[in-house]
Amino acid sequence: MKVVTGVVGNDIHVVANRLIDLSLKARGYEVYNLGVNTHLEEFFDAVVETGAEVLMISSLNGEAEGWGREVKLLKSKYKNLDDVIMMIGGNLVVGSGNTEDIVARYRKYGFDLVCHQIDLNTGLDMLQSTIEERFPS
Amino acid sequence: MVSQAEKLLIDVGSTYFKVCTPTSIEQHFRDFNQDILDDLMSKCGDTISRFDKQDVHICSSANGGLSTLIIGITNSFSLKYATNIAFNSGINIIDTILFQNIEDYSVPSDLIDVVIVVGGVDSHSNLYSEKIFSYLDQLNYSNAVFVGSTQDSQSMRDNIENLVVLPNIIDDKLHIVEEHLKDYLTNLYQQDIEGKEEIKHLYEITSNQILSTPYVVNRALPHIETRVSVANPFILLDIGGATTDIHYSKDLVDENIVTENEYDRLVFKRLGVYKSRQSLILAAQSNEFVYELLLHLGVTENIYNEQTDKATKILMQLAIFLVLCKMSHYRQSYVNLRLLQINSIVLTGGITKVLSQDEVETIIAFFYRKILSSGHNPVAVMDSNYDIWTLGTKV
Ligand code: B12
Repeated sequence: MKVVTGVVGNDIHVVANRLIDLSLKARGYEVYNLGVNTHLEEFFDAVVETGAEVLMISSLNGEAEGWGREVKLLKSKYKNLDDVIMMIGGNLVVGSGNTEDIVARYRKYGFDLVCHQIDLNTGLDMLQSTIEERFPS
Repeated sequence: MVSQAEKLLIDVGSTYFKVCTPTSIEQHFRDFNQDILDDLMSKCGDTISRFDKQDVHICSSANGGLSTLIIGITNSFSLKYATNIAFNSGINIIDTILFQNIEDYSVPSDLIDVVIVVGGVDSHSNLYSEKIFSYLDQLNYSNAVFVGSTQDSQSMRDNIENLVVLPNIIDDKLHIVEEHLKDYLTNLYQQDIEGKEEIKHLYEITSNQILSTPYVVNRALPHIETRVSVANPFILLDIGGATTDIHYSKDLVDENIVTENEYDRLVFKRLGVYKSRQSLILAAQSNEFVYELLLHLGVTENIYNEQTDKATKILMQLAIFLVLCKMSHYRQSYVNLRLLQINSIVLTGGITKVLSQDEVETIIAFFYRKILSSGHNPVAVMDSNYDIWTLGTKV
């Protein structure tokens, strides 16, 4: 299973990104890590180039909301991204917020899995179950 | 015969040629009614005959180089990487096609020298459908090269005649791999130059390989400080008769291409002051700031219709401005240079014989003030003795 990951926007918080890279590999995923400072278009383009099944976006510095709003429009310009599992995690709002509202909002933006301030391993377990549902073996 | 170490350097461009000895430099407009060699000999025969064949070095950008059309699957990776390699190999890009929308593109009627097809990492496959084959059927091209996923190379070979297959330019970390495609394109360019009848005749006066000018300039850049005093980072503008070449240091781009090259090249076709004069004027007329710039220079749009030295000067100044504009707007070209960090703008080519330092600097200042709303003011460095080119020929 291929995963494209990275930190969206002008966000330079790199620690979580390194951990995500390592943890995904440890769980057997083929990882394409775009690193920090990655634009939305680069994420989608990387999915196209690699044929990844999962797009896992991180955001730590509070920019996520702005990018989230762009997702639908940009994704509609691509002809073959409909089946990709879209996941986002980190600090998804500026300051604190009600998790339920946050999750609902990001789902509207087009994300299947929303992990606001959720520990990485919990998030990766959620991904595992989603994959099992989508691709029953 | 002059002493052994002394070399004669000759550059044959689309509009003029220059001849450079250790002590002098001559520049002449080409006479298109004559063969290049005859033209050269009639204007600089005395100089040329003083040198031994092995001491004569010639480069050429006549014809503006080879043309390519690139078909890829994304803007950020396949198309961007192939574009980067093509520019750095001295090739001009006619168009880039995003495969998913291939049906929306018109088929260029001109003959394309080489079509580049690229897309996907090696672990991905089936990135193209028959649509690409029917597009290529309508296209008039001389060479085709595939540098995408290895898994797709067989089906590509089966469907595209005389296809050259090279290793993928995208590695499994999504990084660029330049060397194979770059060598292929550089050789193709080289063969093209050498295959031209007129160029062949030039071997009567040199026993060295005739090289392409952009290749020579790019090769000089890492050593530029030995000849010209520039403050890094810098961009180099070579505004020619037919095209404008920009060479820039890698620190000026903020993006995902990780390579070993220190300098990249970018070309704006049809932005030149002689052969491309009409398209330069068109570009000027559609730029909303040019009216004000002309006022600033104390002329009106009537200048476009004049054939005076003054008009040539103004056109060259406009060319500088338009090139800077083209590089400043995000995503208008394929890279976005951090123009506010530039410390020097180096100008080379015929323009340095026509414009003074002041005439260049006034344009640069106008550009930074009007377009970037900044007081930043990089220094203009005039390579008026063709030091960079001389350096590149000698490296
Ligand atoms: C270190 C740090 C920095 C360093 C970063 C160094 C570097 N290159 O990495 C520096 C000093 C440069 C920095 C700068 C800034 N920072 Co800072 N920074 C931190 C800090 C203290 C720790 C981040 C860290 O590395 N944590 C360790 C990692 C392992 O944890 P993590 O990032 O939280 O990630 C975990 C989870 O979130 C999760 N996760 C992350 N992504 C994903 C994705 C998925 C899919 C899943 C499932 C899980 C997941 O997994 C990780 C492990 O569990 C945090 C505060 C904090 N304690 O978290 C602030 C913090 C992230 N920074 C913050 C801010 C505001 C900034 C600045 C804007 C400050 C400023 N005004 O200049 C700048 C922004 C710079 C930029 N362009 O991005 C805010 C963000 C606030 C928000 N979102 O509302 C924080 C939360 C501090 C705060 N409480 O205000 N910062």
